[in-house]
Amino acid sequence: MKRRTLLQGAGLVALARPAFAAGSVIDDIKARGVLRAGLSTFVPWAMRDKTGKLIGYELDVGARLAADLGVKHEPMPTAWDGIIPALLAGNFDIIIGGMTVTPARSESVDFTEAYSFSGVHFVASRKTAPGLTSLDAFNRADFTVVARRGTNAVPVVQARLPKATLRQFDDDAQALQELLNGNAMAWFTSTPKPAFAAVDNAAVLYLPVEKAIEPQRDAMAIRKGDPAGIAALNTWIAARKVDGFLADRFHYWFEGRTWLPQTQA
Amino acid sequence: MLNYRWNWAPIPNYLLRWDEQRGWVANLLLQGLLTTLRLSLWSMALAAIFGMVIAVLRSSAQLLPRLVGRAYVELMRNTPPLVLIFVGYFFVSSQVMPLLGIDAAIRGASPASLTAIDFCFGEPRLLKNFLSAMIVLALFEGAYVAEILRAGIQSIGVGQWDAALALGMGRLKALRLVILPQALARMVPPLAGQFISLIKDSSVVSLISIQDLTFMANDVAVSTGRVFETWITASGLYFCVCFMLSLGFRRLERRLAR
Repeated sequence: MKRRTLLQGAGLVALARPAFAAGSVIDDIKARGVLRAGLSTFVPWAMRDKTGKLIGYELDVGARLAADLGVKHEPMPTAWDGIIPALLAGNFDIIIGGMTVTPARSESVDFTEAYSFSGVHFVASRKTAPGLTSLDAFNRADFTVVARRGTNAVPVVQARLPKATLRQFDDDAQALQELLNGNAMAWFTSTPKPAFAAVDNAAVLYLPVEKAIEPQRDAMAIRKGDPAGIAALNTWIAARKVDGFLADRFHYWFEGRTWLPQTQA
Repeated sequence: MLNYRWNWAPIPNYLLRWDEQRGWVANLLLQGLLTTLRLSLWSMALAAIFGMVIAVLRSSAQLLPRLVGRAYVELMRNTPPLVLIFVGYFFVSSQVMPLLGIDAAIRGASPASLTAIDFCFGEPRLLKNFLSAMIVLALFEGAYVAEILRAGIQSIGVGQWDAALALGMGRLKALRLVILPQALARMVPPLAGQFISLIKDSSVVSLISIQDLTFMANDVAVSTGRVFETWITASGLYFCVCFMLSLGFRRLERRLAR
């Protein structure tokens, strides 16, 4: 993939600069008084409400982390393609953006413990692939499936559906449109989007399987070589798991759509 | 076949919204358009300076400056803008910007200067990104501007130079009084075209997270699910701005032709 090589190239440029301050990123954040958190628009992790404000699970998590550190929260909306190079270049301190832990990403950044558990799921078209009830039924040479480029759904599809043709789009909205137009049989992305799409377009789409086909761990990411920072963040995540904050926010954003009036007129 | 339920209702709110305290305020799409305009104007101004320097290098009598100018123009013209922007941005923002100490300066700036920065460049905390993108865009467009300037000057017949020199003018004076007034009229149409294409080219900066019209339109499209409505609106905004510029430049052309 062309863009991927480009991404790594830019990463190298960023790595070539002298090492960052020897202290932990947590010290930098406290000294500055501002937590700069990188994220990318991805419903319902991070999105814009009607007034243009950023809302979503990651915004709640970031705001609470900042509050607990006693600093200001500054979300930095970033294009997904450039989010890791931007972290390495020092444009922000941390990625709190629903980033799934993968071996490839672990080579350029350090991940904390998972603080949310999403999964790769899919929704199929009633028109082009009616009545299928398993993932394996989609592993056919004459089937085309769609996904957003750079997401964890891509390697999952490549591994589980080697016969099918995978077409990648810049955004989930375009992938969904391709499915609605009847040019693809299924769209693969993170939970809860497939379920939401099936509800919104019940006449055209259906869920062949109810549960996610592959669980994934989403974690915060910081620049490499900062064990103290990772330890501090892990402690915070553990504490917020115990007091139910993370589960509560996850329930609100992922397991229902009572938030929908905030984005839809 | 396009299977799509059109719904334009959410779009106007993302252009202008009603705020209880402040009345009508620009929402994401218009904010994005403002960023695009700011970025284009500053980049074009900077590109004009780069272009002039390179054009002078390229028309020098000595070999080395000519080679340097030529290498620059060919490098910039023959690489995709996306790659230049991406690599250039991360280089500028991680190597050059820390040397300038922009971040520290912003955090210590007075409210008055912050307001000034906000007016000229947009949100102060994103100034570093904005300047990086501006420099990279200007470097890129500067190569095209240089060629337009050089072509304009060289298109004036040698006879004009000879005549001016024969009247006892120096080279600089001849350039200023005889050559440039004629060359300028020929440069305006291609420069106008370049400026308009800069506005459209500037949409690649959405990749490096400058919150321009394209970046905001993407955010709105993803958040509302109104994909086509949002992108058609964004295209309409680009068209309005570029078309008005076309009309303005046509006027200028007519005046210069007189």
